[in-house]
Parts: sequence; structure tokens; C-alpha cells
Amino acid sequence: MTSSFYRSSRHLMPGFAMALALLSVLTPLSVRAQLADGETRTVTIFAAASLKGALDSAAASYEKSSGTKAVISYAASSALAKQIEQGAPADIFISADLDWMNYLAKAALIRDASRSNLVGNTLVLIAPASSTVSLTIAKDFALAAALGDGRLAVADTKAVPAGKYAKAALEHLGVWAAVEAKTAPAENVRAALTFVAKGEAPLGIVYRSDAIADKTIKIVGEFPGDSHPPIVYPAAVTTSSKLPDAAMAFISYLKSPEGQAIFSQAGFAPAP
Amino acid sequence: MFGLTEGEWTAVALSLRVALVATAVSLPVAIAAAYALARWTFPGKMLLDGFLHLPLVLPPVVTGYLLLLTFGKQGIVGAFLWETFGFTFSFRWTGAALACGAMGFPLMLRAVRLSFEMIDRRLEAAAGTLGASPIWTFVLVTLPLALPGIIVGSILCFAKALGEFGATITFVSNIPGETQTIPSAIYSYTQTPGGDAGALRLTAVSVSIALIALVVSEFLNKRAQKRIAAFE
Repeated sequence: MTSSFYRSSRHLMPGFAMALALLSVLTPLSVRAQLADGETRTVTIFAAASLKGALDSAAASYEKSSGTKAVISYAASSALAKQIEQGAPADIFISADLDWMNYLAKAALIRDASRSNLVGNTLVLIAPASSTVSLTIAKDFALAAALGDGRLAVADTKAVPAGKYAKAALEHLGVWAAVEAKTAPAENVRAALTFVAKGEAPLGIVYRSDAIADKTIKIVGEFPGDSHPPIVYPAAVTTSSKLPDAAMAFISYLKSPEGQAIFSQAGFAPAP
Repeated sequence: MFGLTEGEWTAVALSLRVALVATAVSLPVAIAAAYALARWTFPGKMLLDGFLHLPLVLPPVVTGYLLLLTFGKQGIVGAFLWETFGFTFSFRWTGAALACGAMGFPLMLRAVRLSFEMIDRRLEAAAGTLGASPIWTFVLVTLPLALPGIIVGSILCFAKALGEFGATITFVSNIPGETQTIPSAIYSYTQTPGGDAGALRLTAVSVSIALIALVVSEFLNKRAQKRIAAFE
């Protein structure tokens, strides 16, 4: 019984080999056909996680008006900067803080002439929608007490911009020492939002633009603008970009009144 | 010691603890499930088989997210455990163990099931004719014969648990000392400028542990094979 099975599968082998060979020849041909039709240009954007939603809408409306498509990869600015450093093929990089843009500028990976500030944001303290917590954010406010044995969901405070701003704000208000051991460092600011939205963490610190988009959480308070370095989203075209003009045009669109309106509707502040 | 910082040693110790607990807890469940799938037929068998293999085919972040929804403080099982026993997986090393165990379980299941299926049933029948009850047969004949598969399954589960990242960080985040395992610590290092040295140190530790685990498993496997050959 085993030998006849083996014999029949031997008949299948040449067939499989042929099919695989055909596929490997045809696939690059079809891809080349798509690229030869150069009408649709695609700009690759690496953008901070907190821009999702607003940037998607902006890209969609830009595609309608100009025909240029945008492929956007969202992650923590730290992760994206590291990827670009390793040679990832991005045309545009939009960071959630100046540090990571400066990091790439130092490594000569962005075109300095193309760099500009896109939008700003505000830091807010959030809780699940069903929470009854009430806090006024001021010097030495009772954050640790409000947490109880729960944890404060923040983006990683060592690398992710949202986490760095949160730590700076809490240090400025004198409560960081009390809550440092009670944080739940998430991979990016949207993951921190998820922890609060799912009720895992009683409180969290995210951007205002993240908070107003989600109905399952509510804003407990806003951190004063002077408690942390100003939140700025710089954008720049990378030195490795093959479409610098298209990329620059996209950034100009984002800074135009139409683009800025999309961002302010999503809860972003104008660039400081 | 060995040039590792205290934080890094904490991550190593936590990783080992999480991986060992994940493997130890998965073992009886995997043996039971593998036996059921290998020997019995029951309605919904294929569905159960598929469900138990989900963590193998789903993206780890999805597994972590599903764990968050089910075992989180407000999840179906999580809320019950919290209200009844005051026990929670939220942001604890037990949550990391659950995530790693869930990811390693299908690997252990497959290895154990394969070894159950390859056992000569006549040996079990012989034990029955000699007067052993089904339970004794299982303990004294089936399990020892399945030992090579169980060892391989345990090592696979342990290795997977040691290297688990996506599900862990999505479910219980990256808390140093509590849920920051070696992969999470390496990830944190790679995200910080100038963290490459720390990342490489931990990578070296990770590789060493993996090699030791493989050598130990090979040794145990050979011994188990010799004992089985001696019986046949």
C-alpha cells in the first residue's frame, strides 16, 4: 500500500515543479507590467501611531485630488526611525517628537530642506468610559491614590514620544516618583489606549487626538502645556526616497488649510 | 556578572520562570488533549483540533489581543476569576506565562499526539491481558512509551515560551520585573538610541539558554529511546 502511494506522488512531482517554475516566471512579469504604467505614483509614509485616522483621511482626500496614492505604516516613532536607519524604503517620515527626527537628521537620513512641523497635540489623562474617577491635574495631584493597585497605561517612557511626554509631565508635576513602579508600558500610544479601553488599566496617558476618537474611554483631565516639552509632529522626506517631489507635494498638502482642517477635526492642535 | 546589568538579569530570571511555568502547566493539558485527539472520536473533534492549533497560525499580536479580551480584568474568564478568587492575569508575570503557554501549547500538542499515535497498541492490550486497569496501562505503558514525544514537545514549548514577544506585550505590556521577558527587553533596547550593546548581551544569553535546552533535550531523548528499545 505504501509503495503505490509513493508511485502516485512521484507522478505529481513533475507537475508541481512545472507549476512552481511557471509561477516564478510569471509573477515578476506581471509586477513589471504594473510598474511600467507609471501613472499611479505611490508614496510610502512612516507615521507615528497617533496619526492614524487623521492621516488616513488626509491621504484619501489627497489621492482624490492629485492621483498620488499613499501607503502608510503606523508604529511608534522610535520603531519607525530605527527601521529607516536600517534601510526601510520610506519616502516620508512623520515623527511624534523632535528627538527621533533629529536622530535621523544626525545620521543624514532625511532631507533637511524638506523638514517642517506639521501639527501639535495635547496630553490627556483618560479612564474607561464607565469609570467614576475624578481628578484635577495640578502639582502633586493624587494620581497614585487614584490608581490603587491598578497600573497607569502609558507608551514606553524610554523611547516612545507619547511615553516620554507623559513621564516629563508627571515629573514636572512631582508625581512621577510615586507612579513610576505602577506604569504599564505599552508598545505604542494606541496600545496604551487599548489597555484603558478594555478596562485593564484604570487610568492612562495618551494624546487628545487618540482620546476623542474612542467612545469607550473618557478624558479625566488635560496636562498643562508647560508641564512637558511642546508636542510637535515634524515631517520630512527621506534621503533614500525615489519620489522626493511627490513626497514634498504630499507634505505641502498636509500643511495646506485643507489638510490642517482634517487634523484639527481629529483633535490635533496647530503646530506650535 | 557576565557583564549583564541588574535589569537584564531580572529579565533573564523572569523569562526562565515564565517559560518553565508555561511548559509545566501546558504539559498535563497537552497530554490529555493529545490522548483525546489521538485515541477517541467524538462530535466536534475537528473543531477542537482547529481551536487548539489557533495560536500556531494566528499572528501573535492577535493571540495576545484575544487573551486580553478573554482573560483581561473585564474579559469573560478574567472577570469571573477576579470576582470569585481575587486572581487576575492583568499586568502580572502569570499573564506573561499564560501568553507564552498559549503560544507554545500547539507545538507541545502536536509532538505528544504524534507519539501517542505511534505507540504499538498491542503493548497496551498486553498490559490489559496481564490485569492492568486502563488507568494503570496509561501510566505504566502508554506514558513511558510516549516519553520521547513528550520531551520534544516540552522543549519546543519551552523554547517558544522563551522567545514569545507579540502576545506578551499586547496582553500584559512591558513591565520591568513583572512582564519584561528577554524578547521584550531586547525590543526595548533596540528602540532606544545606543541600546545595541544591551540588545546583543541579551541575545547572547538567549542563544546560550536555547542551546543548553536543546542539548538537554537531545540527551533525555536518547535515554528515553534506549529504554524503549530495551523493552521491545
